[in-house]
This record gives sequence, C-alpha cells and structure tokens, in this order.
Amino acid sequence: MTRTPILPYIIAIFMVVLFMAPLVVAAMTSLKSPSELTQVLHLPTELYFENYVRAWQQMGRTFINSLLITGPAVLFSILVGTMAAYPLAYMRGRGGKLVYFLLLTGMLVPFQIVQIPLFLIIRWLGLYDTIPGMWLVHTAYAVPFCTFFMRNFFATVPQSMYEAALIDGCSKFGFLWRLLIPASTAGLSALAIIQSRYIWNDLLFAITLTNSDQARPATAAIAGFASGLQVEYGPLMAATLISVVPVMLAFLLFQKAFVRGLLGGAGK
Amino acid sequence: MGHWIYLIVPICLYLMFFVVPIVWTFWLSLHSWNGISRDMKWVGGGNFMTLFLQPRFHHAVVNNIAWLIFYLLAPSGLGLLLAVILDRGIRFEGFFRIVFFLPFTVPAVAVAAIWRWMYEPTNGLITTVLNTVGLGGWAQNWLGDPNIVTFSLMGSVLWWTTGFAFLVFFAGLRNIPVECIEAAQIEGATPWQIFWRVTFPLLWPSTIIVLGLAAIDAMRVFDIIWATTMGGPAYASEVMATQMYEIAFGRLEMGRASAIAVYLLVIAGVLIMPYITYMSRRVADSEDS
Amino acid sequence: MSKRTGFLGALLLGTALTFGSTAMAEEAELWHFFSSGSEAEGLEALMAVTNGINSDQPITSRVFPGNILEMRRAIQTSLMGGNPPAAYGSGFGYELKIFADAGHLRPLDDVWERIRGDEIFPEGVKRVTMVDGHPMGIPFDLSLINNIFFNKKVLEDNGVEVPTDWDSLVAACDALRDAGVQPLANAGGPYWSMYNFYPALISTVGVDGYYALADGSMSFDSPEFREALDLFRNTLVSCYAENWSGKSWTQSGDDLVNGDVGMFMMGMWLGGYMRQAGFEPEVDFDFFPAPGTENLAIFQMDLFAIPAGTGPATEAGVAFAEAAASTAAQAAFTVPKGSIAPNLEVDPSIYDAVGAKASAELKNAEAVLPNLVFMLPTNLGTELGVQLERFAIDPSEETENEMITTLEALRVELQAENAFVKW
Repeated sequence: MTRTPILPYIIAIFMVVLFMAPLVVAAMTSLKSPSELTQVLHLPTELYFENYVRAWQQMGRTFINSLLITGPAVLFSILVGTMAAYPLAYMRGRGGKLVYFLLLTGMLVPFQIVQIPLFLIIRWLGLYDTIPGMWLVHTAYAVPFCTFFMRNFFATVPQSMYEAALIDGCSKFGFLWRLLIPASTAGLSALAIIQSRYIWNDLLFAITLTNSDQARPATAAIAGFASGLQVEYGPLMAATLISVVPVMLAFLLFQKAFVRGLLGGAGK
Repeated sequence: MGHWIYLIVPICLYLMFFVVPIVWTFWLSLHSWNGISRDMKWVGGGNFMTLFLQPRFHHAVVNNIAWLIFYLLAPSGLGLLLAVILDRGIRFEGFFRIVFFLPFTVPAVAVAAIWRWMYEPTNGLITTVLNTVGLGGWAQNWLGDPNIVTFSLMGSVLWWTTGFAFLVFFAGLRNIPVECIEAAQIEGATPWQIFWRVTFPLLWPSTIIVLGLAAIDAMRVFDIIWATTMGGPAYASEVMATQMYEIAFGRLEMGRASAIAVYLLVIAGVLIMPYITYMSRRVADSEDS
Repeated sequence: MSKRTGFLGALLLGTALTFGSTAMAEEAELWHFFSSGSEAEGLEALMAVTNGINSDQPITSRVFPGNILEMRRAIQTSLMGGNPPAAYGSGFGYELKIFADAGHLRPLDDVWERIRGDEIFPEGVKRVTMVDGHPMGIPFDLSLINNIFFNKKVLEDNGVEVPTDWDSLVAACDALRDAGVQPLANAGGPYWSMYNFYPALISTVGVDGYYALADGSMSFDSPEFREALDLFRNTLVSCYAENWSGKSWTQSGDDLVNGDVGMFMMGMWLGGYMRQAGFEPEVDFDFFPAPGTENLAIFQMDLFAIPAGTGPATEAGVAFAEAAASTAAQAAFTVPKGSIAPNLEVDPSIYDAVGAKASAELKNAEAVLPNLVFMLPTNLGTELGVQLERFAIDPSEETENEMITTLEALRVELQAENAFVKW
C-alpha cells in the first residue's frame, strides 16, 4: 500500500471534470440575470442573486414540508424494510422465498399507473394533502426496495452466526438489534442516503397526493419553474442548487458510518 | 414461526398499495375508457391485441431492452470502478466521494434542463468542446435525431445515476472484513488477483443490489425521458412507461394505457425476476459455504 | 419486538388520522398550471380583480406544475374522488367536450348572457367554447400562432426584405442561408411543426377546408392534404435551421436573439420570452403573418371551466368565471403575460407594440380560426402533431405516405365512433 499509482488519480480527476461540468453550467445560470440567459455558456457578467431570492420565495414553506416529509419517511421506510428483511434473510423454506419474490415483484410496478387508485385510497384514509399521508405512501412504496436492499446486506452475516447466537440464548430480536444491525451499519447508512434522495426528489406522489402549501414538497415548487409554456431557468437552477443541499447533508452525515472495521469486530 | 410477526406491517402495506392498484389496473386494461366519461366499455383482450400488433409499442419495448443493457453495464461498471479507486486509498477521498455522489441528488426536472444545454446541437457544451478539440465532426443533433436520441438520454442518465452504484459498492467494500484482504496480501497476491478472487466475491450482495435495481430502473425509466424529450422526436425515445403516460393523459385512453402497464409488469417479470432469483440464490449458497 | 412494532404502527396511524381530519376544509379553489414567470404574475393580477368584484365569495388558487396532461390528470382524479375544484384552467374545443359529455361541466348559458358573450368574443372563439350549443367555459387568454418573428438586425444586415408571400419567404431563406445565417428556427416537440403547418394547409384548402379537416369530413388521403404537405415541405421545412429538432423552443428563441437564425414562426409567447431577455419589440424584433394567413388569425386560447355542482363552491366558481370575462380581469392577465384578451372590448392601448399589433390582427381578421389540434378528437390531434414533427424532420415521400396512411386509418376509426364535432 506504499506505492501511490498515478492511474487512479487520472481517472478520478477526469471523472470529477465530467461530473462537475453540468453542475458548473447550472451554477452559472443560477447567477445570471434574465437578459444574459440566452448565452448559456458565457460567464455571468455580474452575480445576480435575485434568482435565489425568487427561488426561495417560491419554495418557502414547501422546503420545510420536504424536511418534515423526508425525515420520518426515511426512518419508517428503513424500519419496515429492515423488519421485513430480517426474517427473509434467515427463514428457510418455501414460504419465505415466496414472500420475498412477491415483494420484489412490487418493484416492477410503474408508479405512473397506480396514481388514480392510490389517490382514492389516500382520500379514503383521510390523508389527502397531509404530511403523514406522504409518510405512509413513501414507506409503502419503499417496502420492496428496502427489503431487497437490507436482505442482501444481512446476507454478509452468515447463517452459522445466527444459529450460534440462538443456541447461546440470544433472542431473535436480540440478534437483530445487537448483532445484525451493528454489523450492517454501512448498508443502513447507504440505504438512508438513498432513501433520503428518493423521497426528497419525489415529484409524482407529491403532485398526485398533495395540492397545497401545507403538505406540498419543494420538488413541486421546483417543477413549477419549468411548467406550462415558460421555463424560468435562473430561478429553476437556483432552486435546484438549494434543494441539493439537504440531501448532501444527509450524505455527509451518514457516510461517516462507512468506516472500515465495524464488521471486522462484530463478524469474525 | 415467530418470524412472521416481522412481516405483518410490510405485507399489509404491500396488499394495500401494490396489490389493490395492480388488480385495478388489470381490470381497467380490459376496458375502453377515456378516464372521464361514466361509461366503460368491456373490450376483453382487445387492448392487448392492438398493442401486440402495433409497431409503436414494439419500438418502446425495444427501447426498454436497450435501456436494460445500458443500465446493467454502464452506471454499474463506472460506479464499481470509482468505488474501488476510492476504497484503495487515495488523497482527497472525501472530496471525490462528494463529487461522485452529487449528480444523483439533482431532481429530474433540473437534470433534463441542464442536459438540454449540454446537448444543444450547435452551441451546447458538448458540441462546443468537440469543436474546440477539433472533433467537430463528431457533434450530433443529440436530442433531435431519432436514431441517437436514446443514446444521448443514456448519457445524461449515466451522469445522474452512477452515484447510486458508486455509493452501494462503496458501502459494500467497507463492509468487507479487512482481514480477508490482509490475508491475501500476506500470501503475496497482486491487487488484481485480490480484487477478482477476494473482494469481488465478497461484494456479491452489493452487486445484486446494484444490478437488480439497475434492471428494474431500466424497465421503469420515465421521468428523465419525459422531462427531456417527452418520448420524442416522433416517438423515437419512447419507452413503455412514457408511452403509457402519453396514451393515458395525452390521448385519454386509460384502458390501453393500463394494458401497457400490465405488459410492462409481465415483460419485466419475465426478463428480470428469474435473474434476481438466480442471484439471490447465489447469495444463499455463499452464506452456506 | 411485536409490542414495539405495534406501538409504532399505532403512533403512525394516530398522528396520521389527526393530521388528516383537519385537512378536509371545503374551499372554493381555482386549479391552474400557470406556475411560473409572467403567467403566474398574470394569474395573480386576474385573481385580485375577480376577488375584488366578488369580495363576498372569494376564490383561492392552486397551481399544478406541469402541462395540460398534468391538469387533465389532476381534474380526472379529483372527479373520481368526488371533490373537483370550483373552477379550473382548461383548453377549448375537444378538451371541453370530453368533460361536458360526461356531465362533469356546468353549462354557462346564464353567465354567457350576462357578459354578452356573443358580442364581446370573436366568432371563432365562440365556436370552440360551445359544446352542443352551450358555452362550457369563459375564455381569458389568447395568443396568435400564425406569425413569423424575425430579428430585425439580421434581416437588415443581409439586405432581406420582410417576406409577404410564399415565394418571397423562400427567397428570403435562400438569401439568409447564402449569407451564412440559418434562415428559420423551429423546435422539437409535437406542437410546433404542427402550428407551422397550418398556413400551408390554409393556403391550399382555405378556411372551409381547415374546418372540414377538423370535423372529419376531409380525408387525409385526399389530394388537397397531400398538396398542403408538399407546400409545407417546399417552403417552411426547406427553410428550417440545421439541427432544429434537437432544440427546445426557448433555445431556438435564444438563437433568434443572438442572431444565429433570422426568423422563427412561433406563438406570441416568444415575444414575451424575448422581451424578458432584453430584446425590444419593434426595435430588435418584429413579426409578420405567415403567408396565406395575412387576413386571418389562428389562435391558441385558455378558458376557465366550472365543474358541475350545486354547492357554494360552484356558486363562487360561476361568479369567478363571470368576473374573469370583465375587461379589467382580462387586461390584468394578458398584459403581464404578453398575450391578448379574447374580450374584444378590452382597450388595445394597454398592450405593448407586439400585443397591439396582434390585437389589431385579431380584430381585423376576416376569419378567426381556433388551433386545429383542439378541434380534433384528442387522439387524432396528438397523432397529427407527432406525424408532422416526423415529416418536418424527414420530409421524404416515404414518410409522407406512411403519415397519410396512419392518420387516415385513425380518421376512419374515429368517424365510425362518431367522435368528430362540427364546431
């Protein structure tokens, strides 16, 4: 590990350029006045922060809604996914396989088509245009993915360990809580990041199931800048860059768990 | 037996939010209905038959298969490469990690707007860069040429979703007991051998997640296409999900749109499920070994 | 664990229900998709006027980001859920008919009479607001789509006169192309090529033929339709800028502002876009009617429709629609947006140069023609747009034949279902 090969740096830096170029254009656009927008690739002549003001005004309350929706929904979805994944990872026999298979089939459902029945179900539950309604929907539609994800992460912890733990008198819940979850921190953190991003960026459920500022998330406000005939590129890009921040914060927070050695201690 | 307790909540949610809508969709697919009128006409398998014979629908299915191949190879491969590079220890790792993940956090509407600028055929960033380095001849009508529009969209998706594969692989790499790798190092294995003989097999669960989800995303791909081209020009970039949406709300044929959804479910089921089950079984095998 | 899970579940459901029950207040709402820029500004100004008139039964607005497809979806789901809004922003013609046929719209004969609808709106507007003789909406926003915008400097610098007919248009294109400027912009998407096709269609089949195509009595495999396609191919299509299909309409607008292209046939909203970019009407840009439409006005239009109902919300919706027809409300919306008021009693002096010119075109037109696509059954209109985009990208004989076959098959099918309307 003492050699420092140059190739990884070349690849990494090249990818940084590729990954950042579109975002640089977006950032430049967010700082341009309307009269400069026709020259997409030119630098802004002066920094025009009005777009950020407009973006923030239009997002306003919806930004808080997004936080209120995403936080609990991420927690609930991971909780439910973990609960489902645990027995499915250690259960033997046909029943478990069948349930797993059916749950996975759920991932194939195109969400655009379930909107009408979903709307009716949510209204029937009295949850239309509410933040808890969004928790419920995001939790429900995350069941297959979170189960799939956690089950595969649990699979790194061998069956033999599970059996040994039970023989040692550890309860099933105790195994999950004290061994499995700590051993899967990296997986849980990755899932938390991914779920934060999915839920934060959801637009489809948002526009079907909410219609007012009391529950509507920021994505709806952002999409509003690019709707109908007109597109307001300056505020759209400003709003986008603002909306990226919370997900990046979640990323920075949870990625701390990607520290090598957690399983090294727990596993073998 | 006690295991089933854990499954009660997920199964209830599943029945309510997946099974009910799927049954409803299937029932609708047997009708002709504009979504607004009070009368629905029973047409049996008519919608399925029409689609089965329609070149427009075939084209969408073919595009979905192209997306499947793309999703399995490109974002997954690139994500793995980046994860491995960072995992092996590199300076400014934290910075690289942020940059590689960043595009994944951008909402679809904005990705579409940004990539419209990238792909603007005469003054866009890509064409401009190609002109600058003397490769102007490679420049294309990126989003306007029916023959290449899907490939262009794949480019923006590669940028957008590689962060996901990167993240999962990176977490997976960090979950691998360091002893395994150290042991291999002591035995004098080259990094290349360590990767293929030790790391990659232990990374299998992450690989399943990435490839499984890639396959599913490929079947369901919608928002980036809809926001960038609406399936155009002239249906060229359509996939099943965008076609379903266009038929449902652009033409008000809810029955036929539902039939597309059912086809999508079945085609995806036939193409993907066996492969996911196969991979899951390999996990089970590796657990037992 | 089971206890804990149960507790969590109960907690989740409990909070959910408490939040839920407070959210079901019945309010009179207007649903629309004018979420950005000058359209949003216009709607806000319009609501200020209407709520001033109806201060006893005000109405609030809800914006649904997206386009007309999203609006249809929102209205459709709300109708199924049994809680449609008091009013919503709608298209005209077939868009109204679909909802009216299902009994979902409140006919506005009473309002129409009070606002003297027959007098204040042009004939063409009236035709597509009525379904089976009953007005089903109140027009409030109108944009002409038969004008060709041009960059004045580009034309002057290259010594090109403003075209007046098909021949001078093609000659202008040739001159611009020789001077190294792309002649005519267009943009990808199912609408723009179709709007560009209308002048060629009218030049060939006239106003009566235009309506005949709309009501299904003219076939797509007729020699006239083919002739119209040929004219389209030899004029506008031959002028289109390189790579036009890969640009959005705003990107093509940028090209016009930056002088990369000389002309652009687009709806009036292009004028609004260029003004926002600091490009002055009559100084930097101007427009002329597309050949064959010199004495005509082809329009795109927005209306307010009122879902059927009897409650106070519907009453508020009706009052709102009536107020929205007033000259004050119409001026409030159209001036910020840069479109024109369908109500001809609105004083044209309130518009800027572009609006004033367009308003004069509308007033003096021999015939005011609605956008064809919204007179056709929805399915056929959508298909026509796609086929014309395809033809504009590749105007070969083969595409032309395929297109005619596809459209004609659809027309025959729809005629068998009695889907066409004589507007």
